[in-house]
Amino acid sequence: MEVAFYLSGLVAVLATLRVVTSINPIHALLYLIVSLIAVAMVFFALGAPFAGALEVIIYAGAIMVLFVFVVMMLNLDEGVAAQERAWFKPRIWLGPAVLSAILLLVLVATLWRGDIGLVIEGETLTAKAVGTALFGPWLIVVELAAMLLLAALVTASHVGRSQSPDTRGDES
Amino acid sequence: MTLTMTHLMALLPLIVVCATAITVMLGIAWRRHHGGTAAVTVIGIVLTLAMLLPIWTMAPVEVPLLVVDGLALFAGAMILISSLTCAALAYVYLDNYPGPREEFYLLLLCAAAGGMVLAASRHLATLFVGLELLSMPLYGMLAYAFSERRSLEAGIKYFILSAAATAFLLFGMALLYAQVGRLDLPAVAAVLGERPTAWGLAGIGLLLVGLGFKLSIVPFHLWTPDVYEGAPGPAATFLASASKVAVFVVLLRLVLSTPAFQDDWLRGVLAVLALAGMLVGNLLALVQSNLKRLLGYSSIAHFGYLLVALVVGDGLATETSGVYLLTYLVTTLGAFGVVTLLSSSYSGEDTAALHHYRGLFWRRPYLTAVLTVSLLSLAGIPFTAGFIGKFYIIALGVEAERWWLVGGIIVGSAIGLYYYLRVMVTLYLVEPGMRRRDAPRDWGGRAGGVVVLGLALLVVMLGVYPAPMIEWVRLVEHITVR
Repeated sequence: MEVAFYLSGLVAVLATLRVVTSINPIHALLYLIVSLIAVAMVFFALGAPFAGALEVIIYAGAIMVLFVFVVMMLNLDEGVAAQERAWFKPRIWLGPAVLSAILLLVLVATLWRGDIGLVIEGETLTAKAVGTALFGPWLIVVELAAMLLLAALVTASHVGRSQSPDTRGDES
Repeated sequence: MTLTMTHLMALLPLIVVCATAITVMLGIAWRRHHGGTAAVTVIGIVLTLAMLLPIWTMAPVEVPLLVVDGLALFAGAMILISSLTCAALAYVYLDNYPGPREEFYLLLLCAAAGGMVLAASRHLATLFVGLELLSMPLYGMLAYAFSERRSLEAGIKYFILSAAATAFLLFGMALLYAQVGRLDLPAVAAVLGERPTAWGLAGIGLLLVGLGFKLSIVPFHLWTPDVYEGAPGPAATFLASASKVAVFVVLLRLVLSTPAFQDDWLRGVLAVLALAGMLVGNLLALVQSNLKRLLGYSSIAHFGYLLVALVVGDGLATETSGVYLLTYLVTTLGAFGVVTLLSSSYSGEDTAALHHYRGLFWRRPYLTAVLTVSLLSLAGIPFTAGFIGKFYIIALGVEAERWWLVGGIIVGSAIGLYYYLRVMVTLYLVEPGMRRRDAPRDWGGRAGGVVVLGLALLVVMLGVYPAPMIEWVRLVEHITVR
């Protein structure tokens, strides 16, 4: 399990370095996805599968894919096809592919050994344990996070309003 | 540990503020009404303030992740008072605002709740969530008039820089957690001990960076003047008062409860930050021709003075911080209140350039009197609240024999006197063809005018008869959990 942990950690560090050094936003985002998946693997190795699954579902799955879509949609013009062809070179996709392959290897090797509850040390934190902690002693933080999301939502809906500022909300 | 009835009682002020925010939200969804929204907000805040009194008698109560003690209630009262002032000012200010106006109160209430959580936090998790709950609505409040370029700029600038500061804060917390394995402040303080390891020091340092940004302590102050200048009046008022009070209180709690801060090295860092704040803030304020920018730099200088209390860290430190925070709060609310009132009849950029204020006395004698009293108090002239605060700080510095810091305070105050007086002289100058930037004609009868006049009276009262305030702060210290 230590090997899995350190290998995933290394992948995360390398991928994040490439995020920072990439000039093209799409390439940077691809590396960021790899980095997030690597962090998820680190969580699995540490015995926190719930955090790992959240990392994959929310960060790599939802937020980053949204980022990629938005960046790609912003680039829609005539040169897109040519640009697409220029991007699709081995030099570009080889890096993320190799790093992802290492992660896949780690995952398969871990699964091959069979024991899902395998961790470096300590116990596996199940989703049930996380839920008990969140809605037990950490209840206040959960409630406050709800207020935080409300504030963020109101801010976003106010600032993101497309109507001209001359009209008040009640007149539209 | 589960929540008991006592815990719920102690959390009641927070619950009521959040419930008011939800009520305001539902009200907006049902029907937009500016006056009604403002009234609900004010009633909610006043109810919460009244609720602090019975809870005062049962303090300190330790709730899971939070502690409701003297300091938390003291800061809570100050945050609520500034929110109340901001709500009253916003009612006048937003009256002519062309866009939707009701969301401002919702954001204001959320930010107030965040400030209260922050002041009561005794756990790194609530510290973080409280800080975010305080900052997140502020982004919206600062960028509220988003069709104005400057307001949008202020909001985005604060948003991006504040996110960077939060990253520092989180990284510091991660380092501390890696060292200690706990997140509650007492445990962190105990494990770190008198002489923390390099990683522990790094964690504390990063925490200081994160909190120092919000307090605009000197190396992290670059955002302050721009954000103050661009923000709509009530938002700038909240940023300068409630937000700073809440963050300072949590910093005070951190410094007082962590023995690692007795370390000479950390104290040296704090002392340098304090000295830099006083000098840089005051010197840069000298060259400003915009009242809001000037007040921004002056607040940087004031938090330099306040850091002296943290450098000394024992004896009268808590009492000094309490008295200084209270006097600073009342004074700043007064000064920003006048700026906001003067900006309110005009849609567009706020009235903040100094030439707008030329000869104000001959048009608006009462408002000018309020502004004069506030500026005198900021300068620390006797018979105003600011004098009592500054007296405390100097006394603390002299007692701890921190001569460099005392020297810095005296030099800073001397420079400060110059630029505050420059503004005051402008107020009374007569000049033909003066620019007409006025408060609404009936400002005195409006909520904002009454509040500002009350604040000016309070500044003078606290300066002439400070005994009740000092008694109160001593009582606060008595029921504070260390």
